[in-house]
Amino acid sequence: MNKDWFVLLVLLPPLLAFLLMVAGRRILSKRMTSLFGVLSTGISLVFSLVLLVSSLRSGVSLPDWEFTWLTLDKKPIQFGVTLQPLNVLMLVIVSLVSFLVHIYSSGYMKDDERFTVFYSYLALFTFSMLGLVISPNLLQIYIFWELVGVCSFLLVGFWYFKPEAKRAAQKAFIVTRIGDIGLFIAIAMIFAKIGSFELHDLKGAIEAGKLSSGMITLFAILIFIGAVGKSGQFPLHTWLPDAMEGPTPVSALIHAATMVAAGVYLVANTFWLFQASSVAMDVIAYVGGFTAIFAATIGIAQTDIKRILAYSTVSQLGYMMLALGSVGYVAGVFHLMTHAFFKALLFLAAGAVIVSLHHEQDIRKMGGLWKKNKGLGWLFLIGCLSIAGIPPFSGFFSKDEILLSVYANGRYGLFIVGVIAAFLTAFYMFRLFFKVFAGSHEPKTARVPWSMTGPMIVLAILSAVAGFIQFPTHFLETWLITGGMKSLHGPESIAWIPVLAVIVSLLGISLAYLMYGVNKWDSRRVAQAVPWLHQCLVRKYYVDEMYHSLIVLPLKGFGWLLQVWDRYVIDGLVQLCGWISMRVGKIGSTLQNGQAQTYALISVVSFVILIVSLLAGRLFG
Amino acid sequence: MQSMSDMDWGIMAPEWVIAIACALLIVVDLFLKNTASRRWIGFLSLLAVGMAGGWVITQFRHKSAMILDGAYILAPYTLIWKIILLTGAALVLLVSLGQEKKEYEPHEGEYYYLLLTAVLGGMIVVSTADLIGLYTGLELLSLSSYILVGIQKKKNRSNEAAWKYVVLGGVSSAFILYGMSFLYGLTGTTHVGEIQKQLSQVGSSYEAYVYLSFFLMMVGFGFKLASAPFHTWAPDVYQGAPTPITSFLAIVSKSVTFALVLIVYMAYAGPYGEFQEDMIILFMIMATLSMIIGNTVALRQTNVKRMMAYSSIAHAGYVLVAVATGNQILIPIVFFYLFVYLFMTIGVFAVIALVAEQEKSEDLKAFAGLYHRSPLLALSMSVFLLSLAGIPVTAGFFGKFYIIMGALELNHIWLIAVMIVTTIISYYYYFAVIRQMYFRRPASSDPVRVSWPMKVAIGISLIATMGIGIMPQFVLETLQSLLR
Repeated sequence: MNKDWFVLLVLLPPLLAFLLMVAGRRILSKRMTSLFGVLSTGISLVFSLVLLVSSLRSGVSLPDWEFTWLTLDKKPIQFGVTLQPLNVLMLVIVSLVSFLVHIYSSGYMKDDERFTVFYSYLALFTFSMLGLVISPNLLQIYIFWELVGVCSFLLVGFWYFKPEAKRAAQKAFIVTRIGDIGLFIAIAMIFAKIGSFELHDLKGAIEAGKLSSGMITLFAILIFIGAVGKSGQFPLHTWLPDAMEGPTPVSALIHAATMVAAGVYLVANTFWLFQASSVAMDVIAYVGGFTAIFAATIGIAQTDIKRILAYSTVSQLGYMMLALGSVGYVAGVFHLMTHAFFKALLFLAAGAVIVSLHHEQDIRKMGGLWKKNKGLGWLFLIGCLSIAGIPPFSGFFSKDEILLSVYANGRYGLFIVGVIAAFLTAFYMFRLFFKVFAGSHEPKTARVPWSMTGPMIVLAILSAVAGFIQFPTHFLETWLITGGMKSLHGPESIAWIPVLAVIVSLLGISLAYLMYGVNKWDSRRVAQAVPWLHQCLVRKYYVDEMYHSLIVLPLKGFGWLLQVWDRYVIDGLVQLCGWISMRVGKIGSTLQNGQAQTYALISVVSFVILIVSLLAGRLFG
Repeated sequence: MQSMSDMDWGIMAPEWVIAIACALLIVVDLFLKNTASRRWIGFLSLLAVGMAGGWVITQFRHKSAMILDGAYILAPYTLIWKIILLTGAALVLLVSLGQEKKEYEPHEGEYYYLLLTAVLGGMIVVSTADLIGLYTGLELLSLSSYILVGIQKKKNRSNEAAWKYVVLGGVSSAFILYGMSFLYGLTGTTHVGEIQKQLSQVGSSYEAYVYLSFFLMMVGFGFKLASAPFHTWAPDVYQGAPTPITSFLAIVSKSVTFALVLIVYMAYAGPYGEFQEDMIILFMIMATLSMIIGNTVALRQTNVKRMMAYSSIAHAGYVLVAVATGNQILIPIVFFYLFVYLFMTIGVFAVIALVAEQEKSEDLKAFAGLYHRSPLLALSMSVFLLSLAGIPVTAGFFGKFYIIMGALELNHIWLIAVMIVTTIISYYYYFAVIRQMYFRRPASSDPVRVSWPMKVAIGISLIATMGIGIMPQFVLETLQSLLR
């Protein structure tokens, strides 16, 4: 059966919902709005699943289709859709998480005045993200890439009356823009070099050996810079924790499950480009590995529940990059998927914690929630176990694959980094868990509505079982590497790696239990033992401060100089141009004196001048 | 020679539809009580235009034909012209019907059927290749327009506009006729195809007369196009006329005149193209002057309709750039631009009509805070203005883009430079409206009432403007394949 057009049924409902909400934002009730949102993403989800089934069944990639949008200098610029297994998988992840977050938001945001606006942004984001993951060419990727950036900006700054939110939105926009410039330069250079934006043309050019290896490395690294910005990798990670100022459902959808994973997706989607350059692979692996451990250490010392999760996200994205850099294509994508589930779950659960504690986000003021809300405690625990990598939860399997790939790729140093990061992950996640749920404290709690609990249960089930699509049979791998990616078979499993990973995680959990669960060891004493280290972690290694003094201040000084130049020289020139235009306009309008005789005279005189000058030109020319 | 009864009169059906509807409505209007509403005459006119348009579309399957000794032609290009004219007329009718308080209350019936006669005149022009036919069609269009401009008898400004339009229009017609008479004298025929043949044989011995005739005609055409330096009437007339009529002048009259220019130009182009070069220079001068004068004088206007008059002068200049490239391949680009121009201009004028009606002012300040009153209306207006300004990626941008690419092939570098610089200047006055709409406080907070015909007209314009912006290649290729 021809299912080409099904992809439109995935893509268009959120767009339609967005338009409807914008048009009817005055008349739509909150109920109707959330109904539209949930329904549209629900339709997207259903048809994504249909595509998934047909992709699994056909065993090869579904047919692509494209149409020419413009012809530039005889080079067609096309729009279209590509449905490789990776694209289909991303479609399912995005539409699923988006669907759940739409349901969750109807509870979480129910008292917000700008409810419809919020939903319309969410719908636009969903559309853009879906568009991004099916784009077959770089131009289209770039358009949707920027669109999701805009939506992220709008949603982070959704509570724009809070100055922190406003600042965070700006920061998110500007810092990711630095990465986008890299991507943009890459796209422009690729078009200049091979005359096409199409990924398969680029792939063809590489396979045919038309590009020098230096060129390939340059392209790969520029594209990776874009991914670094979007996926919050070091050194452009600073925006992601600040972006937690946005509403929690947004953090779950955009800043945990989907948009921040777009960088990982981009690298995975152009993986053949990176494979062609060992330098680029090294860069990814080291940046990823460093980010993984770097963000994990910061996570230990934070006190805001959402910021801890944000650093955890940065760290996990680093894991994915590390996997990709170690030729663990399947491992990276697998972790992207499981992470989308358990991190969305953790964020949604954190949102529920925040709601039930009357908008308290500081974990030092929390405790004893387990007694009040056991259900929520279990859900949060499943998320923590999954991210800590305890079998049989999904995080265990994907993390194991990553460590295996890194080891098999011979990057032993990074392997050790990965193991330490796993220990830290388990420690800070359970520090969070015990701080919030353990203790004798009896907090006053608010009720968590079903619209919020339902999506969490679905995500909890997925977090618990999603690992089994890759174990014991390598089902995901077989599907993902159909087509031209046969060379990406994962390495044979090594028995001691999962055992080591589990032991390390258990150690982390035990340490957290001793320090925060039963308070055997006083955490303050530990912090006082190494005050400089603790302070360093609390201030996030002073990266923001460093940027401020190294980049922002010099830039401001430079900006001041430029302003002087601009105000007196450039502005003078502009004023001159404007003045000339106005002057010409004045001459033109003085002729326009309202007298019909003058008008006729102007025409006749012009006629005479024209004919005389042309005839003269002909006679003497 | 074919006898009158043998001819395939059927191919003239679109013209017949309009003519018959027009005659019927005149009679009906005559017998109708003075107090009766004339609104439905407008709807019947719309129906007639729609039927004619539908018929034209079916004719694309008809193979090219000629009747009346080649005075009436059915060919793909005549059909596309007619689609432009009829679409424009239909949208103008919708805008007219959508105005709550008619600016021409006691003459509403006349208003509608005069619009029909004007369109009929335009349709005759585009489908003939005979000087007599061209002139008659043009005069039918012009005479109807004169009355339409002055239809608000009680308004001084309207009267003044009509008076100027009649007098200056008369002058321009005289120029055209004078030019045509030379052509007839030189060749002894009124048929353009024949003239072309004759001129290529005898033209070189009477060069001065050939040039004189062409220049005389171009003065007249320049007037009808509102192209500088023959544009002087346009601001006064555009400002004084009822708003829908202003848009009619900007779109339908202008398009018809471009058809006329291209047909007459064919007569001179000839197989050897001896005169072509100098004629192209004339087009280039007119284009340059129009772009400069239109875009700079517009900077100083505070009346929106007057500003749009200068904008329309500038746009005539842009299209003349395409004409000046004098290349058959560029005909689809001219069509493309006129289509784009049609939708965005109608859209702008529809919004102007609404705002002016509600605020009782055509001043720029009437648009203050429109976004806070009617966000959708302000958004549509912004789309139209951005498209007129030619911001990427809008329909207007691609219109200009294709023109520039065409001119680039012929190395008209300085013409392109003028076009780009004046386009940038034009941003200033288009953005002045946008600035008012978004950044100024509204005088009142009531939303602007929009009647349903207005909604339809603005909606169609909006969809078309955005649609062409999204799929320009598709539209251009469709035009190219139709013309093939």
